[in-house]
Amino acid sequence: MLVLSLAWKNIRRYRHRTWVTILAMAFAGAIMIFYAGLLEGWMQAMETNVVSMEMGEVQMHAPGYRDDPDLYTRIPDPAAALLRAEAAGFTGSARLLGGGLAAAKENSAGVAIRGIEPEVEARVVRLHRHIKAGSWLVPGERRGVVLGQQLAVILDVRPGDELVLVGQAADGSMANDLFTVRGILKSVGQGIDRAGLFMPAADFRDFFALEAGAHEIVLLRADPALPLDTATETLAGLFPDLEVKSWRQLQPTLARLLDLSDVSLAIMLLIIYAAVGMLTMNAMLMGVFERIPMFGVMKAIGFSGVRLFGLVVWETLLQITLASLLALAAGLPVSFYFAKKPLDFSFLVKESSTIAGVAFEPQWYCRVTPASVLLPILFLYIVGLVAICYPALKAALLSPVRAIHHR
Amino acid sequence: MNEEQIVRLAGVSRVYRQGNVEVRAVDRLDLDIRAGEFSALCGPSGSGKTTILNMIGALDAPTEGAVYLEGRNLAELSRGALSRFRRDRVGFVFQSYNLIPVLTAYENAEFVLALQNVPLAERKERVMAVLREVGMADYADRRPDELSGGQQQRVAIARAVVSEPAIVLADEPTANVDSEAAATILDLMEQLNRDKGVTFLFSTHDQRVMDRARRLIRLRDGRLAADEGRK
Ligand SMILES: Nc1ncnc2c1ncn2[C@@H]1O[C@H](COP(=O)(O)OP(=O)(O)OP(=O)(O)O)[C@@H](O)[C@H]1O
Ligand SMILES: [Mg+2]
Repeated sequence: MLVLSLAWKNIRRYRHRTWVTILAMAFAGAIMIFYAGLLEGWMQAMETNVVSMEMGEVQMHAPGYRDDPDLYTRIPDPAAALLRAEAAGFTGSARLLGGGLAAAKENSAGVAIRGIEPEVEARVVRLHRHIKAGSWLVPGERRGVVLGQQLAVILDVRPGDELVLVGQAADGSMANDLFTVRGILKSVGQGIDRAGLFMPAADFRDFFALEAGAHEIVLLRADPALPLDTATETLAGLFPDLEVKSWRQLQPTLARLLDLSDVSLAIMLLIIYAAVGMLTMNAMLMGVFERIPMFGVMKAIGFSGVRLFGLVVWETLLQITLASLLALAAGLPVSFYFAKKPLDFSFLVKESSTIAGVAFEPQWYCRVTPASVLLPILFLYIVGLVAICYPALKAALLSPVRAIHHR
Repeated sequence: MNEEQIVRLAGVSRVYRQGNVEVRAVDRLDLDIRAGEFSALCGPSGSGKTTILNMIGALDAPTEGAVYLEGRNLAELSRGALSRFRRDRVGFVFQSYNLIPVLTAYENAEFVLALQNVPLAERKERVMAVLREVGMADYADRRPDELSGGQQQRVAIARAVVSEPAIVLADEPTANVDSEAAATILDLMEQLNRDKGVTFLFSTHDQRVMDRARRLIRLRDGRLAADEGRK
């Protein structure tokens, strides 16, 4: 193909300008591939935290419980419900939820009490691997509690210390009892950090004089390929007398934020690439102006304006393609490296902390996805082609007479 | 020799406007060029030589009058048709910047044939033949910046004639080369005219070049001052 081979020869001849343009584009591209990977990694970490530390993927409650969390509003037979959910391809855990006041030494704080079967809960969420001090609840052992990080600070307790819990039991009587702090969690999220108190389900039942039922069932899909919406609908069909909601329905703001991650990436790309686009445009414009007499001769001897436009566009396409290959060669290994070995910010923040109410680990993993690789490359093409439009049009519309006499 | 008329200018004027000033570069000119001619447009600087060649070559359009090339009124052709017409029927040799710098002498001479989609084997044969005729066959693989000015003009002539156009227009083809190279270029054009019947119209204000022309079209202020020869 005449135009393509001429374009190739041209970009090889104007070697300096070509390399400056290519390297600028490649540098921006590589940075953006890495940045996009980090962004995807961060979004992924946020989703993982919400899902695997706290919410599970789907939650079920007795109707009305979420609007008015009352001890009495219970799922009547959680064990049977769990069995049916498991048969439908889910893993789950039932929780008992209540409120109370915790006091230790001179300090006291309101607490959100969660009664769980430790070994069952561990199949759904990963709190048990998120211990900062002491240990997680041990199955079968009674009277131990695990506290959120902030709560432990407020109460000024360490593992081994004792605390008093006060609450109102289901029968209306005053409940109070002595517990031992077994462990303290790392930062998980604002709610758990400030008020979370975990105890064995049996202790919860004793404390609140609540014999049967549970307040919440959290579930994970056994098959992650199954769409979340479908999974939620399946469960809703299975449990018509319960309120079934996916984590996206329960945390719509976060879900939308994650959905918008590609949009925010695109905006970022446009801003960063604007500078590259101007550099490209300048180099291309110089390249066109410098060759006006030659373009004039070419048009005079029958090279049409359309072909000239094509020539300039092809020159750009070739350069972008070379730049993309370089960007991939530089950006991908870096991204994959940091997908294995995270960027470690623990010198800045000692342990996990919360950003916008969601826990964030000081170890930041890159995540290479099709979008994180293809979007930066796609935008390189878009920006480059938009930048070349004006110079290419200029070349195409040249009057050969004036071009030949252009000095 | 063939007496077929190739170019006809009928009452052609070309007026340039710069602000309020009007320049009549060409003023109501009638002219015809027949097949096989070897003619020179001459006259002082600014007399309109380049303007006339540009109009004949369909690079520029007259303000008044009409230009006919092989009987066709150029004003009636579209932009694309004019581009194809130039490609197929006109050969150009300019004063400088003739060749595409990234292409070799061979590729430059081949360029128009490639645009015409002439099959590769035929292209090769025709290009090598014409390079031999202009004495540049040994330099086929050189790029323009590896050739002297005179050699570049010879390649430009090769490119202009390889597509067998109706006419070759050469605007001061020898202005940028020394007299020895100029003589070679003229020998070459003369030989192509004599042996192949290529029609040449070139412009010059060099007396030695005028002496070689068989017809001298003298211009003054865009008007025909004298039409000598037609030998
Ligand atoms: N683009 C233009 N704009 C305005 N005036 C022009 C333009 N091109 C040519 N002219 C004018 O038209 C007249 C004829 O110019 P032309 O270039 O045809 O002369 P020429 O005989 O080729 O001269 P030279 O020997 O210097 O090449 C001159 O007066 C010139 O100034
Ligand atoms: Mg001139």
